Amino acid sequence: MIYLDNAATTLRKPIQVSEAVWEALRSCANPGRGGHAAAARAEETVYRTRKRAAEVFGLEPEQVCFTANATEGLNIALRTLLKPGDRVVLSGLEHNAVTRTLTGLGAELVPITAPLFDAERWQEAFSDALTADTALCVSLHASNVFGAVLPVRQIGALCAERGIPFVVDASQSAGLLPVRPDEWKAAFVAMPGHKGLMGPQGTGLLLCRQQPAPLRFGGTGSSSMDQNMPAELPDRLEAGTLNVPGIAGLGAALAWLRQQNLDELLRRERMLLTAATRGLQGMGVQTWTGQNQIGVLSFRLNHLDNEEAAARYAKAGIALRAGLHCAPLAHRTGRTLPDGTIRLSLSVLSEQKEVDGFLAVTKRMLK
Amino acid sequence: MYELFVTFRSVTYGQKGRDVLTQNGIRCRLQRAPREIAPGGCAYALALSERDGNLARAILDRAGVRSAGSWLRRSDGSFVRLEP
Repeated sequence: MIYLDNAATTLRKPIQVSEAVWEALRSCANPGRGGHAAAARAEETVYRTRKRAAEVFGLEPEQVCFTANATEGLNIALRTLLKPGDRVVLSGLEHNAVTRTLTGLGAELVPITAPLFDAERWQEAFSDALTADTALCVSLHASNVFGAVLPVRQIGALCAERGIPFVVDASQSAGLLPVRPDEWKAAFVAMPGHKGLMGPQGTGLLLCRQQPAPLRFGGTGSSSMDQNMPAELPDRLEAGTLNVPGIAGLGAALAWLRQQNLDELLRRERMLLTAATRGLQGMGVQTWTGQNQIGVLSFRLNHLDNEEAAARYAKAGIALRAGLHCAPLAHRTGRTLPDGTIRLSLSVLSEQKEVDGFLAVTKRMLK
Repeated sequence: MYELFVTFRSVTYGQKGRDVLTQNGIRCRLQRAPREIAPGGCAYALALSERDGNLARAILDRAGVRSAGSWLRRSDGSFVRLEP
């Protein structure tokens, strides 16, 4: 199979990830729930991952909280900072993980639009919208539909100047682009562990620079007499048994990523993106592309329904994703509603031969 | 002989404290805190030699590792709380 659906989840992982998952399944008990060797092994496994993540993102270990995915982290962040009726400025590229949560919280959504790949215009648009009555600003780092990278550092600076808390969804960028919560002055940054970070599904991180409100309540293996959730992070957000095998796998993935040359990986991914884009454009296929783009490419085959095209690709052994990508707001901003697009998404382990295979199949489909 | 116990409400702080002390050449062991020094129930403690106590507490303080308290174990096994 040619796997080009890495924005949904990376499928090919470093071998160390599955080895760590297996080792944790075999040897780790419940962290924080006992003083015996198997519980201690679990505690050390979890802490190792937490510490690695803290080093990668420039934070203290306790500021790194484990979640099941980015959505859970975003739910925690948004529920912490909002009350019904609050005005929330958000990029017009946000995923349903943000927009449904905001809608559920009764917030007033103020989506910002700008040309997809023009970082300067995005910054200006945010600056215009961040008025004194804004309770919160939310932006993704990179779009899961178009791959556009937004200027989160500059948006964070605007928010800090105006005293507005800032939340970043780094789902598509973590592991590929530098994620710096302190430099972005973000209250919270959420990300999955299973995409660019190369960990297993069922893992996520919420990076906290502010005290969060817990989403889950229950046992933490600490301060058990107190019927309120602990004030200390990470315990405050980590009620219930943790996904230790998943966290172990994520730890191995982080260790692997730290051994790589990120600039080189990014350069390689951009080279593959350029090859895919030029190949499609050479066949007259409509693409959405520009500066400041990670390895996510939306396109359409004009004569074919997107889902039907994706099904044909699948039959030819190529994994892509068609439709709205859980981000109708992004498709509204990109003017690709109601049909959406077909999305090709790369990972740092994607290969030239996969792009070549995809282009060859596309050529056949267009005949 | 481990006679001084620095307690933490969260295992993460205990682990962070252990790393900081170890990096500074102080031997310690992370363990579940005995009930007597965990009045809130379920806590962790770094056990270390009494002679390292003051230095260890200063190092933890400087590193911003928040502890719940420090306790000295008497020869009869009971604990006395040390002033912060």
